Amino acid sequence: MSSKKFRITSIALLACLLFTTGATGYIDTNRDTRPAPEKALVETIGTNGYDFLTETDTLKYYYRDDRDIFMIVDKRNGYTWKTGLDAAYSSEIKKNMAAASNDEELLLAAEPKEKNLNATYIGIANSLVTVEYSELETTKYISSASEKGASSVLSGNGRDYKLDVNMEAIDLKLSVYITLGEDEISYFVPFEEMSGEGLKSVTAVILTPFLGASGGLAQYYDPETGDYGEAVSKYMVPGYVLVPDGSGALIRFTDNNVAFTSYEGDVYGSDPSTETFYYSEVTDAVPVKDPVMPVFGIAHGNRQAAFVAYAESGAEYMDIIVNPEETKRIKYTYAYPRFEYNLTYYQVYNNAGSGYFTLMEEPNIFDVRMTYKFLAGDGSKGFAADYTGMALAYREHLVEEGILTEKDVTAGDIPMRADFLMSDVKKSVIGTTQVVTTTVDDVRDILNDLEEAGIKNVNSGLIGWQKKSETLAKPASFSFTKSIGSSKDFKGLMKEFAERGKDLSFSRNFTVINDKMLSYYTNAAKHVNTWYLSVDRTVLYPKNAPVQYTGYALPEKTAKWIETAAKKASSYAGSLTITGSSNILTATYDRNGVVTSLTDSAKLIAESMEAAAGKLALNLENPNMYLWKYTNRYLKAPVGNSQFVFESDTVPFLQLVLNGTMEMYAPYSNFSFYTQADILRMIDYNVYPSFVFTGEPSYLLSDTASSDMYSTEYTEYKAIAKRVYEGVNGVLSRTMGMDWTGREVLKSGLIKNTYKDGKETHYVIINYTQSDETVDGVKVPALSAIFR
Amino acid sequence: MKRGKITVCILLAFVLTIMAPATTASANQATSYTYTLEIKSGSYEFPRTQDAYLPDKTVTKLELSKPTDVFITQDNRMFICDSGNKRIVIYNIDTDTVVDEIKGGELKTPMGVFVTKDGCIYVADNGAKAVLKYSPELELLNTFTRPTQPSFSDTNFDPLKVAVDNAGNMYVISEGVYNGIIQLAGTGDFLGYFAVNKTKLTPSQLVQKILFTREQLANLTATVPTTFSNVYVDDMGIVYSTSMGNADECLKKHNTSGGNMFMEGIVGWDDVTDVTTDKNGIIYTCTERGYIEIYSKNGEFIFEFGSFVTNVDIAGLFSSLPSIAVDNNGFIWGVDKDKGYLQSFKPTDYAKQIYGAMGLYEAGKYEESLSAWRDVLRLNQMSVLAHNGVGKALFHAQRYEESLEHFEVAENRNYYSEAFWEVRNQKLQVILPYVFALIFLLIVVNIVIKRVDKKGKLKNFKKDLTNKMLDTPVLGDVLFMFRVARHPGDRYYDIRVANSVRGASKFAGHGHASVIGAAIIYVLTFITYMVYSTMKGFIYQYVAVEDMDIGGSVAGFFVLIGLFVICNWLVTSINDGDGSLKTVFILPAYAVAPLIVGMLSVTVLSYAMTYNESFILTIIMVVTGIWSFVNLFTGLMNVHDYSFGETVRSFIITFFFMAVAVIIGLIVSIMFEQLFGFIVSVGRELILNVI
Repeated sequence: MSSKKFRITSIALLACLLFTTGATGYIDTNRDTRPAPEKALVETIGTNGYDFLTETDTLKYYYRDDRDIFMIVDKRNGYTWKTGLDAAYSSEIKKNMAAASNDEELLLAAEPKEKNLNATYIGIANSLVTVEYSELETTKYISSASEKGASSVLSGNGRDYKLDVNMEAIDLKLSVYITLGEDEISYFVPFEEMSGEGLKSVTAVILTPFLGASGGLAQYYDPETGDYGEAVSKYMVPGYVLVPDGSGALIRFTDNNVAFTSYEGDVYGSDPSTETFYYSEVTDAVPVKDPVMPVFGIAHGNRQAAFVAYAESGAEYMDIIVNPEETKRIKYTYAYPRFEYNLTYYQVYNNAGSGYFTLMEEPNIFDVRMTYKFLAGDGSKGFAADYTGMALAYREHLVEEGILTEKDVTAGDIPMRADFLMSDVKKSVIGTTQVVTTTVDDVRDILNDLEEAGIKNVNSGLIGWQKKSETLAKPASFSFTKSIGSSKDFKGLMKEFAERGKDLSFSRNFTVINDKMLSYYTNAAKHVNTWYLSVDRTVLYPKNAPVQYTGYALPEKTAKWIETAAKKASSYAGSLTITGSSNILTATYDRNGVVTSLTDSAKLIAESMEAAAGKLALNLENPNMYLWKYTNRYLKAPVGNSQFVFESDTVPFLQLVLNGTMEMYAPYSNFSFYTQADILRMIDYNVYPSFVFTGEPSYLLSDTASSDMYSTEYTEYKAIAKRVYEGVNGVLSRTMGMDWTGREVLKSGLIKNTYKDGKETHYVIINYTQSDETVDGVKVPALSAIFR
Repeated sequence: MKRGKITVCILLAFVLTIMAPATTASANQATSYTYTLEIKSGSYEFPRTQDAYLPDKTVTKLELSKPTDVFITQDNRMFICDSGNKRIVIYNIDTDTVVDEIKGGELKTPMGVFVTKDGCIYVADNGAKAVLKYSPELELLNTFTRPTQPSFSDTNFDPLKVAVDNAGNMYVISEGVYNGIIQLAGTGDFLGYFAVNKTKLTPSQLVQKILFTREQLANLTATVPTTFSNVYVDDMGIVYSTSMGNADECLKKHNTSGGNMFMEGIVGWDDVTDVTTDKNGIIYTCTERGYIEIYSKNGEFIFEFGSFVTNVDIAGLFSSLPSIAVDNNGFIWGVDKDKGYLQSFKPTDYAKQIYGAMGLYEAGKYEESLSAWRDVLRLNQMSVLAHNGVGKALFHAQRYEESLEHFEVAENRNYYSEAFWEVRNQKLQVILPYVFALIFLLIVVNIVIKRVDKKGKLKNFKKDLTNKMLDTPVLGDVLFMFRVARHPGDRYYDIRVANSVRGASKFAGHGHASVIGAAIIYVLTFITYMVYSTMKGFIYQYVAVEDMDIGGSVAGFFVLIGLFVICNWLVTSINDGDGSLKTVFILPAYAVAPLIVGMLSVTVLSYAMTYNESFILTIIMVVTGIWSFVNLFTGLMNVHDYSFGETVRSFIITFFFMAVAVIIGLIVSIMFEQLFGFIVSVGRELILNVI
């Protein structure tokens, strides 16, 4: 046997064995979506203790004054939601039982006793609003319906109410305006109406943390023994919390047997200027994926009842908190929005880093607006009561607000993103030298070659195209180097391909800067402790890279650079690619306090993007919600979540929200995203493939800040790119221009996505398993996807 | 060929067993980055690579408390040492159920567990101070307490870990025992210490050992060797051990006499807690901080993943990782001591590709391994492992020229040198006839010239030209250094005379030393030095330009010369030396001509030499170095009119002064830094709290 023949035989044998040995059942991990939860039991809940407020065609509203709880009965399915746990304080039970004059009254007074919830937590669990404050460096809570120290009054009528809360214990007054809508309840907490000395120590405001909570442990009164029995588990409603972690994650209600820490999703990422310390470091752990939208939801049962909650104001300061069973011995899984007004940070006063912990002098100034929209049923009427319905409901809201616009897409091949890493800098005998990995001519050759390979619908971002490269060039600099291509070369290249329908754009990060690129003075953002913000990247960068630390630009500078760059770029190309600034939001401070707040910073950047969008199209990397209005292409859309142990499923929530409003691209397939399962994930999540290419081998970059681009050479990736593109295009090109309306897990590893094209309904069935499956009489081979 | 086929089939089956069930792992979903090893300018870098493993299952339901050890048997049963609950949990990985447990009886505080091929369970029980042996039916068979042999003397016997070889010998790691791994016979008799970690003294301890009295030494904390943290025996009966506290000794693979088979050491960390292997001999270790490293059977670092976290529950990240094991599907299982749950990791296609390529190479299937390694390389062009793999495969296929590029990227100088030797050999065979022809031609030309030019016109012309050049200002001053190199005694005498006798600046002979000439020579020397340090051929260029501290080199070079000149002048001023500051400045410059020539020739030759001829380069550098030093020495002797002894003394005192100057400089700069820091602190404090 010749050596070649032999090799082929070996490989065939290997492939054969690979597939046969793998034919075992598909085992879900938290990177998959598991089959839907079981049906929830619908209990009839009495309105005892509640006053009827109003009703709409969809909902009935009641209110319990002593515990500040709204009860919402969904007329569509009879499901009852309570904004609080509705649990009695043990002292209250004791008092009421003592006061009972007969057995009937005693039974009524002997309410279940919550186990592992102390008076503070019962206050939190019941109340509409809870304030988190700092006292002697410890965090404490006081709620609108606390056992003592606070009182509240609800006033209003019809659909508009106002809850005036007076927290005497800490000298704080605040008001919550409540609007009872057709199928939604909204809260408005204006900063203006927060007053009192206590405001200085308020760190956060929490709204209705136990709405939709599941689980719990309680003791029940036994009339026969005349005493409370052993604590027993309450009915754990099957269902889940949806959090916008990455593409979206479900945290199912389950008894976990171990203690967990909370999920804390910091909307738009945590603000580096108000972190505890002014410096942070890149670690070996993949960073947690911060929510890019202020939304979460809870579903009870399988398409029975659900709500989706979103912030319309105050999102920059919002955390989405989920306490999975069990945290701090609390046997409930509960989720809520937390709005941060103040925080403890480390004030440093010398170069050695000595300092002390302190609160900010002035709190963050913003208003809170939260809306909870209730969903019912399987989606035959309105939106389904599951994560897909939540996504579509939120999408509808964003469309109504004008943040998203549905785009007409013509049928045809799907687009592919082919970015080019043109150069980076490394240290040299004197100063630095630019390592060129892709020239203008290389780009032309590669794009032509891709076209020949059948990948025609391509758009590209050019990275490191400028003199001194991405690492050392000033953010808005437009100076070119001949070794890559002159200004004229770039113009020629971009024009040539624009005529052929291929959009090439310059890519730039206008937020992450370093002190070798420009002076921090008047350019860099400062921490609330007035030191320049600093990120230690020594773990990521090679020891000899020209830069080891980075900072953040002042928001106003970022905004200015974006505008300048957009103006300059518009004479070359039809679009501009922006990284960093699309996803990082930072405030800045000086010794007089806040210079640009998070709210202002988001506004500044949004305005600059608006101005830029007037000149050219914008390709933004993982943009935050406030930039979606200006986004044409969503790059590096997450296709997974942070994988907290208690997160049970990964879902394409983000993709469902944005479907049909912009093109969404997956992370680079070069880096661990090229296998058949990854192709299926792109089809499942409706995202298009993207690659980063270089003309030269990527090991040339090993001494630069791009050393994490460990494999980019086009010749090595051509075959992979073709395989990935054809795999995804084969299915997704058929769905172009259709509405994605549903997603269902038929069984572990078998997904059915529903698309609507006018009145026609189509399905994409994705089989992640190792065995062939038959769905509605159609065979779906192992590890493949079909359209029908 | 037939035999080869069978080998490959067996090998494939082998490779496949670790792959089954072969699910295509969806990547880009890891929670920590995977790093591979890169050797850059002789030091280690860990660049990122494709994800090697993905977190798979997190098992939280076992309610473990402070688990310390896990062991997986061939039938995928996991034995978990649940120390906090004082039990051994037997968990079936395939069915995800607890099948049994060992609790109570003799079992007090189990810390380590090992299961032999025949199913006997050995438990290292720290509380019971014994190793307990259970039958496969979980009946207690033996309790091995402290050995009674006199040679064991009064050593502690508080077992932490245990492993058992195919002959039934036990290897026990005991708390507080620094002598090594305790080896017990199947009967419990003490056989001796199997392996020992050597005590390593720090420089200060060395000094103490030399200077201190016996009483003083007794008062010091005893220096103890690195302690073993774990021991493991693989299917073949090979013993592996891990140690904490010293990265150099973190992992050892022992031969039968206890020696370490990893002679060249291991790239690892100082907090390795456990080691295990799979059927192919691939070695897995874990560190307390939650990292997992994977090595080839020869101890080459393949990759590493993980990260240390606290207060975050993310799949695949540990806050404390005491133990790992590999199941029969090739999945790695780790246990978190603080959180009490199990986490499995599934190998990605990338990891499997690497293991496959390694297997093929080890089986001598170079052609097949070449294509497998090329696939790996496609996915990570920076992988040293893959470049070495491709390089070696090419080398064995006698494709030397192609292999050079890969060895260069992998910084594998030994293999590069060997491959280069072959390449050069091939080229030499082609070039050699021409070289000989050229030499012959030159000899002929020489003879012809001598015959024709009987009056020596050509020779005179050459001499005249040289003199003319030497008489040219500046150029002549620089070239004069070569004359100095030939006759240092005479020429330095000339320099002394020229600079001390008024009006005698012109002396007999051509060319002379000058300040400007010296300054140019210093710059030339520096340039030559930089060329020498940055531009040698790959084999001899150990440090890449981008890894050099260029600023430091510039400052260091000129500061050193400046210091030498000033210190020597100061020394000679009080020591009756004749030289002026000017001559002392000129002096060293004119001594370095041989070194310049040496460095340049070494730089050029380094492109043509392999490691076999490295002695030639060494000789050149040593000879020219000594020559230059002799020049300098002679120069000092002449210029200052010193005797030999006086010159030596002058040298020593000069160097002493230089050292003193450096120390004073450091002290002053540190003081200023402190002062500056203090002023800044006060300023900030004022701004924050007063204004």
